[in-house]
Amino acid sequence: MNAERRTRLEEAGIDVGEALERMLGSEALLERLLGKFPADPNFAALGEALAEGDAQRAVAAAHTLKGVCANLSMTGLHSLFTRQVEALRGGDMSAAAQLMEQIAPAMAAVTAAIGDGDGER
Amino acid sequence: MDLESPTAAEGRETLLIVDDDEINRAILENVFSPSYDILEAGDGLEGLRAIMSAPERLCAVLLDVVMPELDGLSVLRRLHESGLTLTLPVFLITAEASDSVLREAYGLGVMDVISKPVVPYVVRRRVQSVIELFQARRRLSSTVESQHARLLEQARQIIELNVGMVEALAAAIEFRSEESGGHVRRIHDITRFLLERTPFGSGLTPEAIEEISLASMLHDVGKIAVPDAILNKPGRLTPEEFAVMKTHTVQGAALLARIPQLRRGGLRYAEDIARHHHERWDGRGYPDGLRGDEISVWAQAVSLADVYDALSCKRVYKDAFPRERVLEMIKNGECGAFNPRLLECFFSAEEELSHMYKKEVMA
Repeated sequence: MNAERRTRLEEAGIDVGEALERMLGSEALLERLLGKFPADPNFAALGEALAEGDAQRAVAAAHTLKGVCANLSMTGLHSLFTRQVEALRGGDMSAAAQLMEQIAPAMAAVTAAIGDGDGER
Repeated sequence: MDLESPTAAEGRETLLIVDDDEINRAILENVFSPSYDILEAGDGLEGLRAIMSAPERLCAVLLDVVMPELDGLSVLRRLHESGLTLTLPVFLITAEASDSVLREAYGLGVMDVISKPVVPYVVRRRVQSVIELFQARRRLSSTVESQHARLLEQARQIIELNVGMVEALAAAIEFRSEESGGHVRRIHDITRFLLERTPFGSGLTPEAIEEISLASMLHDVGKIAVPDAILNKPGRLTPEEFAVMKTHTVQGAALLARIPQLRRGGLRYAEDIARHHHERWDGRGYPDGLRGDEISVWAQAVSLADVYDALSCKRVYKDAFPRERVLEMIKNGECGAFNPRLLECFFSAEEELSHMYKKEVMA
């Protein structure tokens, strides 16, 4: 992983140093796991569940995404999903839906940063 | 697989990771694959099946809490019910552990709760320590088990040796008396029969009856001290010779008293039997002239067994008597005086005892 890519990922809200520590320094593992992130079906499922008012499905998806973001040290997204899970568990569907306004651009930024590396890998 | 793995030697080298999140599984796999074989399950049900199909190959289970199909606590409950949490360490890996979840998890025998996202060096140390603890326990308990088995085997060999020595000693005396052979063996069997199969032995434990029967084989051990000329004299003994013959009781007891190991080795009855198997219920026996219940139950039983066998077999000084005559002589008190209760028990069971003489009487 070159310095440029590392900077790009960090600008998108990923604590690369922490994430690498969790992978015991394996850049290959980190890249493999980051590569799966854009295709994670839970984000689409979360959007649908919120639109349909399905709180149970929404909390399951948000919870999983929260875990994924924690593991990949996506600090900004992780705190957003943490707030969303809390809102959903508290029964506040509208607050959870509103959070999507911040979550969506953060997701897009991370996905874009990860996608940039496609050519390198 | 890492050859240095501490579990390799035991055949328990597989770590099971149960988590619906592929990333979590990948991170944990990356942490533990240098030390263990890794098995992965994507939900609770799959995880439970993987455990139940062969729990003995697993060294630990890492269990996520929130999962589809069957959640981590439900898996844990099943493992707890089947007693597996006692031998297989289970770790809960969770992002949010509420007090009630922690309480239930520890109550169900979970070894540790590790929070997500995991910190590799922490989770590795915590999991390895517990795996090593369980391995040490297994090693220790298998050592204790094999030591216990070895002790039991040694005890059995000692008892066998003990019986062998007693039989050898008794056989040596028997040969010297030029008797027909098998006398001490029959005394053993008759004594045992009287105590075990008739009410005369009620109150004695099976172990005591075992010991008494073995001790009965040494009742004539004092004959070692009686000269051949007297011991093997055909026909009647003179009063002087008979006086010497009678000393075999006291000599036998004195000999056995000099072997203190006999008391501990299950032969505590031997000395009493050797000394008192010629006492009589009416007090006219020897050497101590004991009367009635002063004579121990075991000495009484051996005394009757000795007379019954002597009458039923050929001896240097006499032929074998037919069974009817043997019973008559005992009933009429021609060969000693016995406890009426003992005689009652004896006559009620004698039919079965008589079978052991069938061949000899006919011969």
